[in-house]
Amino acid sequence: MIRFDNVTKVYKNGTVAVRNVTLDIQKGEFVFVVGPSGSGKTTCIRMLLREELPDRGRIWVAGREIINMPKWRVPYLRRNVGCVFQDFRLLPNKSVFQNVAFALEVIGRPKSVVETQVPQVLDLVGLANKRDNLPSELSGGEQQRVAIARAFVNRPLILLADEPTGNLDPGTSQGIMRLLDRINRTGTTVAIATHDAALVDWMRRRVVELDQGTVVRDQARGVYGLDVATGPVPRAEIGVRGS
Amino acid sequence: MPVSADYIVRETTTNLWRNRMMTIAAVLTVAVSLALVGAALLLKQGATNAESYWQRGVQVMVFMKGDASPSEVAAVRSQLNQLPYVHGCSFWSQARDYREARKLLPASEFTALSLKTTPSSIRCTPNQLEDAMAVSSRFARQPGVDSVQSPQSAIHAMEQTISVLQWVFVSVALVLLLSAGVLILNTIRMAIFARRREVSVMKLVGATNWFIRLPFMSEGLVQGLIGSAVAAAIVFGLHELLNSLANPDQPFSVLSQMRLSGVQLFSTDIVVVLIGVFIGSIGSAMAIRRFLDV
Repeated sequence: MIRFDNVTKVYKNGTVAVRNVTLDIQKGEFVFVVGPSGSGKTTCIRMLLREELPDRGRIWVAGREIINMPKWRVPYLRRNVGCVFQDFRLLPNKSVFQNVAFALEVIGRPKSVVETQVPQVLDLVGLANKRDNLPSELSGGEQQRVAIARAFVNRPLILLADEPTGNLDPGTSQGIMRLLDRINRTGTTVAIATHDAALVDWMRRRVVELDQGTVVRDQARGVYGLDVATGPVPRAEIGVRGS
Repeated sequence: MPVSADYIVRETTTNLWRNRMMTIAAVLTVAVSLALVGAALLLKQGATNAESYWQRGVQVMVFMKGDASPSEVAAVRSQLNQLPYVHGCSFWSQARDYREARKLLPASEFTALSLKTTPSSIRCTPNQLEDAMAVSSRFARQPGVDSVQSPQSAIHAMEQTISVLQWVFVSVALVLLLSAGVLILNTIRMAIFARRREVSVMKLVGATNWFIRLPFMSEGLVQGLIGSAVAAAIVFGLHELLNSLANPDQPFSVLSQMRLSGVQLFSTDIVVVLIGVFIGSIGSAMAIRRFLDV
């Protein structure tokens, strides 16, 4: 579903954000991408949305090579890739319903589709009773649920989340994770960039660890550090495992 | 690309209303500058009308000396009749010119004239205004010819004045048009800036660039359209005003001669509206370009 082939991204100021990353995520997988700030998680997500282009390497999304994709196709790529951010990015002057409906309206879906899909997805995220509230009247967890609803309402093949729980308390974060897990069980591929160790440990799903732009670990049912008890492992050892 | 008309109308009206002061400024600038363009166009067409009217009545007059011999007069007459670029030559005897002078000249000047000193003349209609010049250069030195006269220089002076006026109008209008374009560009840019969150969300969920662009472009289009409609109305009003000033009892006044036909006025208004629409959509398209480039 997502494939990075030897991808390198260097920013104009010389920072190497991503270095020779090769990664394969299958359809229906649930993957955590972990690592400290500046390890290249966000750059990877931006490249998947084609907001950035890599300097070397190739990327496939849903069977389509996206680096040489013509510009006019990019919106159609993004319709297949839902995305959620730490800061929610909701429109403050639109209600919950309107925020979610907006995502369908701007890709030209007819009214009838909007009127059936939006209540369904609001039900899924547990906000059916708040459809007419403004984002400012909601808690942080609820706002993130609206953002997830907006990302998922179009039934994308892939759902990306960039630090989705960065602004939330642990209890609320678990709720968000459960929601993402439910979405994953509908067959949607879910990839979450996070540095929330407790959540990663709690979920026990595939973990890809990035450090300074390189993949240093890729574990099928991993935790945030190598082992919860021993904490982070010396770098040399990680390098061996990662290669 | 299914962009519903309903969506565009809704977005455009809310945008225009949200930035109403800037919208009014842009619309007024478009109106003023296009009214000037329209006025220049009217002036040009009026001048063309008047010119063809004047040319119809132009005659070139070859005045013979009072003491010119009949053979000299006959030579000039036959040569004029053979010229391909003049027609309808007629000979005015001394007696006829004397009677004409009595009608045209004030009494004080007429008393200085006697039948004997009055020149006889040959009057022809040139095919084109410029041909009067050829007649003048050819016959001025002919024996027995006193002078060759035509209203050509007067007409030229008038045409020059009108063309200078035209250029002034057009250049002022161009400067104003440019500023109208920049104002529209700025209005749209502010509208987009105020809604950059919305635009970024639209891009995130996969709205096509045209979907994002169209409401803003139609906003600029509406500004251009309203402005040019006002300008068209001003041009129409100006035309009506000039027409009412032109006294129908004096068909020889310049204003009557410049009178435009309905078709001319209509086409002028169409040109004005088209320029307005063009400026509006180009301005907004330029404003959006930067925001879509992600």
